[in-house]
Amino acid sequence: MASTFKTLLNDDVVSTRTLLHEAIPITGTIVSGSTYNKAQLKTYTHGMFESTFDYPYLSSSANHIFDMSYGHHESVYSALETAKTAGTATPYQNQKKRDIYNQFAQVLMGYDETGSIRHFDSDGTLDDGDTGKMTECFFLSFSRLLVKDEIKKNSFRLQYRPSGTVDLIHAGAAGAPESTTATLGDYASANEYYTSPAGDYSLIFTASADSDDPTKSVGLIFYQAGVVVLSSSMFSGGEATALGALSFGYSGSEGDAASWGEVDVGAGALAAKADGVQHCIVSGSIENAAQGFRNRWIDCDFNNTIELNSTIYFARINHNEFNYSANPTYVSGSKLVVKNNVNDLPITYITTVGLYSPDNELLACAKVSEPIRKDPNTELTLRVRLDY
Amino acid sequence: MAFLDNSGDIILDAVLTDTGRLRLAQGDGSFKITKFALGDDEINYGLYNKSHPSGSAYYDLEILQTPVLEAFTNNTSNLNSKLMSISRTNLLFMPVLRLNKTSKTGGTNSKSTKMYDRVTTNGAGASAGSAYKTKFVVACDQTTYDVFNGAAATTTDGVIQGYQHTASVVGGQVRVDQGMNTSQISPLSGLDSDLLETQFIMELDYRLGRLARPNSMGVQNVNFIDDDNIASYYIAGTDYISPVDNTESVASASADDPQVFDGPRGNSLNFRLRASTELQYSTYLFTQIGKTLTNANVGDNVFGITAAEITSSPAGSDAKLYYIDSTVRVVGANTGFRIDIPVRYVKIQ
Repeated sequence: MASTFKTLLNDDVVSTRTLLHEAIPITGTIVSGSTYNKAQLKTYTHGMFESTFDYPYLSSSANHIFDMSYGHHESVYSALETAKTAGTATPYQNQKKRDIYNQFAQVLMGYDETGSIRHFDSDGTLDDGDTGKMTECFFLSFSRLLVKDEIKKNSFRLQYRPSGTVDLIHAGAAGAPESTTATLGDYASANEYYTSPAGDYSLIFTASADSDDPTKSVGLIFYQAGVVVLSSSMFSGGEATALGALSFGYSGSEGDAASWGEVDVGAGALAAKADGVQHCIVSGSIENAAQGFRNRWIDCDFNNTIELNSTIYFARINHNEFNYSANPTYVSGSKLVVKNNVNDLPITYITTVGLYSPDNELLACAKVSEPIRKDPNTELTLRVRLDY
Repeated sequence: MAFLDNSGDIILDAVLTDTGRLRLAQGDGSFKITKFALGDDEINYGLYNKSHPSGSAYYDLEILQTPVLEAFTNNTSNLNSKLMSISRTNLLFMPVLRLNKTSKTGGTNSKSTKMYDRVTTNGAGASAGSAYKTKFVVACDQTTYDVFNGAAATTTDGVIQGYQHTASVVGGQVRVDQGMNTSQISPLSGLDSDLLETQFIMELDYRLGRLARPNSMGVQNVNFIDDDNIASYYIAGTDYISPVDNTESVASASADDPQVFDGPRGNSLNFRLRASTELQYSTYLFTQIGKTLTNANVGDNVFGITAAEITSSPAGSDAKLYYIDSTVRVVGANTGFRIDIPVRYVKIQ
């Protein structure tokens, strides 16, 4: 009998797992808002976070890159409420900042033995009291489009300007750009990382030299969740002269989410407020805080990880198989066009491998990039890999 | 789909088909790959140059340069021509499938298997080159059948009763023969058993039609309907398949069993088509994927019938003529050779 199908045996099917990494660069010009004149930055009426796209977000070509938000712990919330009652502070979005913190904390850190939401802990130790507890945090949650299955360990780097006034950062008329930079990274994660309800996480340091001292950590990176949590203290080094002495780099009206703006961007560019990060995160909106961070963002890079689960089908083609074709051009007047006489060997050319179900339905199809000659003198094994 | 890059190493581009994804999503275990087949859809074996002056190493030079398209995800667009395994290497001839467009006047299945053609003058001078002569017509109801079959006593060929009715089956049917299209081998030598088709696979648009038995009103149970509404039937048995006489030449074959192959013959497949319920009782699909003609627009190159025939039918003076062109594919389950048969579903209402 002639046959067109060949059964795959158990030895012909193998399952494998492959990890694939992609390099993801996020440049500061996109993040700060200057490239597309803020059109790639999306804000929301609730004001709890803002989204950054790689292109004006109203375009169908735009891809979501990450969301940025700010939040603080219940203890900060309570203190600010007390100060507000006493008239010594004017906190804005105080409750929303607490809610953001709690939301991220309960998802990423989980709960302690009393059922309370755990603090973010910059040194990675959860049982040492208040040591290393981060109470005022920036949150960078990267989109799944970039992170895929997870961020590769020891690949996250974020270069930023921890100090300086925003006018100098942006090389305005006042002088040269701020030259002091720092590069955050998960430098120690190759050897040491922790586990949380949201998967693996590691500590973030401002320099690789600090990575052997957990007390110098300024944040956490959650690899599977694709979230980076940074303490606001990462900016305070430039604020030695206290509130108002240095500009964090945000503008617009504090407490008015609708009037947020970008320093040095667009025709209606707003002057930067000459206030530091502490003032911003207390009296400014979440968007003000995110804006200040973005204006100090130079570059960010990480590698993502894609977990490919593959099934490999070995199509083993013996010398006496698949040497004839049902192609209409294979015969002319029923005579094989590749043969002159009966002693010539039949020849076919393979371009396609079809994988079929028991009821002969085509479930997967593979094409070779050029025709492969098949005749009774040749045997082939075609390796078809399906990724899931 | 674009061409695959063939400038370097041979690469393999693999995708799940739409049916594969559907079964994967169903999660019921129906996504199970158990076998493979090979295809050569892009290859034109006519480029095989057996008289190349530089010798046999150059015979397939042009074939090997054929660019290959990326894989389609539509399951019915891939592997239209498969490679086959036959242990012998000394085959010089292979059987193919052909329409037997004759009228069998005796024995079982004694019906016209010609394509649509008006043999009476009611067609008002249907010309030889009319496009409708290359199709089978499936009448979706009795009114349509009566108009297309002609008012004269002579039956029009190629009109299939595509509806349920109580009387005996009349009208046309389709006959596909397997055999060798060569006069170099006598039909008396017969077809080798390993090349004989005893089962056929038929594929047709399930929105439009059903496979019907040639000599009764019954329709065949469908084996599988894919995500594109293409129904697959696996046909075997004497209801549809019968051996073909190998004793007579084409010229000397009797009217009881006319032949189309000069060489050895295998089996023949006879079948009819039944219009789907939607086509029988509704014009919705006709307006969506077909054409609508007013009775004034019917003519020689469309159907070879006149406006008067339509307006004088029970459908009345305002009747319209609807039609959808489609294809029925017949594939030999053994050799994989195939033939695509054009059909036209028609309805007057």
